[in-house]
Amino acid sequence: MMKLTDLQNKLQNEFQIAESKSELVEKFLDLGLPNKKSEAYRYANMDKLFDQEFETLEYNAKELAYSDKILIVNGEVISMPKGIRVYYANTDEQNINLEHYDPLYFLGHLLSKKSIIIEIDGDSEVDILHRITKASTLIHYRIVIKTQVNKHASIYEHFEFDNAHESLLLYGYDVDVQKDSTLTFVKNQHSDEDAPTIIASHDIKVEKQASLTLQSFDFGNAPALQLFNIVLEEHAHVDMGQLLYLWGNVKRGTISKIIHRGESSHSVQEAKNILEGSARGIFDAIIKVEHSAKYTKTQQNSKTILLGEATYMVAKPQLEIYIDELEASHGSTIGQLDIEQLFYLRSRGITEVEARKLLIVAFANKLIGTIRDKRQEELINQNFEKAFYAQNQKTNLL
Amino acid sequence: MLTIKNLHANIGDNKILQGLDLTLEAGKVHVIMGPNGAGKSTLSKAIVGHYDVEVTEGSIDYKGKDIVKLPAEERALEGIFMSFQNPTEIPGVNNAYFLRTALNAKLKHEGKEELNAAEFLRVMREKLSSLEMKTDMLSRSLNEGFSGGEKKRNEILQMLILKPDVIILDEIDSGLDIDALKAVAEGINSMQDGKRTFLVITHYRRLLDYLTPDYIHVLKNGKILKTAGVELVDKLEEEGYDWIKAE
Repeated sequence: MMKLTDLQNKLQNEFQIAESKSELVEKFLDLGLPNKKSEAYRYANMDKLFDQEFETLEYNAKELAYSDKILIVNGEVISMPKGIRVYYANTDEQNINLEHYDPLYFLGHLLSKKSIIIEIDGDSEVDILHRITKASTLIHYRIVIKTQVNKHASIYEHFEFDNAHESLLLYGYDVDVQKDSTLTFVKNQHSDEDAPTIIASHDIKVEKQASLTLQSFDFGNAPALQLFNIVLEEHAHVDMGQLLYLWGNVKRGTISKIIHRGESSHSVQEAKNILEGSARGIFDAIIKVEHSAKYTKTQQNSKTILLGEATYMVAKPQLEIYIDELEASHGSTIGQLDIEQLFYLRSRGITEVEARKLLIVAFANKLIGTIRDKRQEELINQNFEKAFYAQNQKTNLL
Repeated sequence: MLTIKNLHANIGDNKILQGLDLTLEAGKVHVIMGPNGAGKSTLSKAIVGHYDVEVTEGSIDYKGKDIVKLPAEERALEGIFMSFQNPTEIPGVNNAYFLRTALNAKLKHEGKEELNAAEFLRVMREKLSSLEMKTDMLSRSLNEGFSGGEKKRNEILQMLILKPDVIILDEIDSGLDIDALKAVAEGINSMQDGKRTFLVITHYRRLLDYLTPDYIHVLKNGKILKTAGVELVDKLEEEGYDWIKAE
């Protein structure tokens, strides 16, 4: 059994007497487990999680089978497709970004002595399925994605949960999008009562003239946070789209920091949030433009529809700018479904539930409609339908 | 077909309809005229169940029951249709998908088989052509960026495919050029089958030149104050509404 607060205390004691000090441990201890005063987690109070007792698992690398996807079950890689290299390697402290703002990024690395390395050769598409089947368990792993210069890769991330309640999934990606390459990353996550709390803390570097498209589709009533630290080099581009569709009494969302380091780098971040029941959404996003990032272009926007009286959205798009030569804009809107539009549809014989669905789909489609892969779009639409009817059947609108 | 008795209706704190009586006969074209603020649009909204309108007294009997408390979608499925004065724009909702959803809801309500995409498109092509509408109207978002004429034609298109029994046209002629007015009027006339009832709300006679109204009703101060034949239009055009008092 393990409690994360106990682990922190143990690391503290060991660090004080250690002869050679690990920078990773030092960084984690500096930031400490998140609490209400933590900058990154100020809207995502998770104190109770760190006092919870978790079962722990031993991770043993096994021989991998071949399948059509990379399958990771409770933190262990089970299978992989042909043409993709997947292996474990010791976590190299030199490859850890000590400038990351998230203490749980460092904790994830501390807990995971070995990282799962995924090497994508050439132009490829890869599906990654995370399957969690343990209750009250701490499951942790780090994944390193290695792409090639001047190639295009697509990663489609999926999740399956079975009896994984009261567990904590602490994972994340370390990605270096190579020079002149493009990477498309699409996350499709539906997590409900059977799901663990998920904290996904990522560190991404987009090299010169590389391009990253990052789309996340989050549905559910289980708590989850995704945290991004993204650094853009010269002429690098990131296009982030985040759809959050929550219901029930849940707190969930995105915390992100995009750092423009290179000249003429470009970022677009668009969040769409749909909240039902008494759900609380978080969009706490900073775009930082450093002195070295002249001619940056950046846009950041968050739009929210509140569908329940007890819903609440923290939308904090923020710009931190140190230069004059740039184009930057950001904004946030929060509203409800347009009653006139709803009436128009109903006046044509469309039920209130279906009219609501049409309007919500219209709102969400600005992001879902941008998925290039039709199979992935269909899978996300299925999760969207599941999310919509999960809530609307409960409220007896059908 | 539809009988309104002693209808009182408010919008917010304003009492708009104040004991309105009106009977719409099957197969007839009824025209409502009246000064601004008389309650013409409120009447049409009350019939279709618009959320703005609170009916405080009276009844609207249709197909043997009082529909005052019926939700808007149920009134629509039972055959009541209103062409909106200013059709709302709904970005992101594809026009064809909306039309097929509405049509299939109606077919399902009538116990008929729903149309698949191919069957639906076949139906639509014929209707679009009769209204001189381009097929790209189907792939656009519902009413988004439509000109005034395109919006009104899209309303008539919905009327043609949904085949309602009671058709309320709220200032369908406003903002239309002559060609659009003709096309809209032809669409309306093509729906006349001796059974359907039309309630046409207008300020001007130009639309009436293309239709064959049976009754002209003057709505003033929240009541129908006068009902007569089409000859009343000329008098109203010449003399306005001041001379009309409660009969």
